[in-house]
Amino acid sequence: MKRSSLAVLLSAILLLCLFTGCAGTLRQQDRTVFAMDTVMSLRVYAPEKDGTLDALEALLIELDRELSATDPESKLSGLNSSGAASDRALADLVRRSADLSRRTGGALDLSLLPASRLWGFPSKLYQVPDPEALEALRSRIGMDKISVTEEEILLTDGAQLDLGAVAKGWAADRCREILEENGVSGILALGGNIQTVGKKPDGTDWKIGIQDPEDPSRNRLVLTLAGTHAVVTSGDYQRAFTENGVTYCHILDPQTLSPVQNSLRSVTVVADEGLLADGLSTALFVMGREAGVAFWRSSTDFEAVWIEADGAVTVTEGLSGAVHDGDVTVVKR
Amino acid sequence: MKALKTKTWILLLGAVFLLLAAVLVIQKLTARPAGQAQVWVDGSLQKTLDLSVDGTYRIESDRGWNELTVKDGKVAVTAASCPDGDCIRCGMQNSGPPITCLPNRLTIRFGAAEVDGVAH
Repeated sequence: MKRSSLAVLLSAILLLCLFTGCAGTLRQQDRTVFAMDTVMSLRVYAPEKDGTLDALEALLIELDRELSATDPESKLSGLNSSGAASDRALADLVRRSADLSRRTGGALDLSLLPASRLWGFPSKLYQVPDPEALEALRSRIGMDKISVTEEEILLTDGAQLDLGAVAKGWAADRCREILEENGVSGILALGGNIQTVGKKPDGTDWKIGIQDPEDPSRNRLVLTLAGTHAVVTSGDYQRAFTENGVTYCHILDPQTLSPVQNSLRSVTVVADEGLLADGLSTALFVMGREAGVAFWRSSTDFEAVWIEADGAVTVTEGLSGAVHDGDVTVVKR
Repeated sequence: MKALKTKTWILLLGAVFLLLAAVLVIQKLTARPAGQAQVWVDGSLQKTLDLSVDGTYRIESDRGWNELTVKDGKVAVTAASCPDGDCIRCGMQNSGPPITCLPNRLTIRFGAAEVDGVAH
């Protein structure tokens, strides 16, 4: 073959590769994982057979085994039954969550499991408990009954730990690390917790809907976000029950040990870290709108959306440009 | 005068016809098709439902069964072997987050999403 012909042939192959992306083609890959008492939808844009989805699934199954409050074999159940555990990763999660609890003035409280059980939320055998029985649990509840060092966790006075308000956020952070290590982008829906990582291959921003509490088939508004973010919503419409005309949601107020009753239907937090967004969405729901807005004004590491029972929507100024549609009130610092 | 009247009528009828045609075209272009729903069990696609065709379907797996009903362009789980019945309480839907039955690992997903994810 003449040299010139060979050059033409190689050029053609090179062009073909450039146009088809034969080396390192990014393919949309999807997987569903059932873990942490929810369904998880994982979507990554990665070269075929790069193993990212396998790694994510293995991690989520492992975290499910470790952090489940209902599985008697989980590490968390072991801690709750013995009152002590030595585990560096679990201690790290508990320590970060305890820091967040302190920062929110106790609005995020990981010690409410005994009260939650009395209301029947973990078992879904819902009931309105006797107020005296609820009050009798006070001695077992409080973040002061949880002590944690770099590796050790100790529960005192019969306290029990519930990581439901932070576990999926923590899992999202760990998943994000895998995607970043593998250099791939994607979007993960761990139940209703959304984690975006990197850029979409088509260059457009991520569009994240925030569910309408009145109609789960609709989005109340849509956020357009570029890059890596955690978007987490806490609402009164998930795992709720109605008795004698009163609806009780699964988020308990640490002050009353009863389901939160305020003007809010949901709070969404957008932050860089999943654990932060997850824990804060619960804390801001407990605080209510006014205290939540004041808390946001004193912070710099998250943005938020509040949806109230009368339909009013409030967004923080950092999200004002990201709201794709919807009539909203913007709060400023 | 009479000829002018006839011409006016023809013009009027023509205008009405054009208006109707425009309305029909706009309706056709903006109409949202009943669409499809995909039924997944444990991560595997089991069935694609045409939501424009009413019907009842039973999806069985090792974990249990769910009865799906398609009616008026929407789908619901109307009966199931699961203990909590959360999937049944989702009601009739044709968009939004998937209807999920965790014990039976069944999800019903709807057509092309307008967003990449929904926080809830």
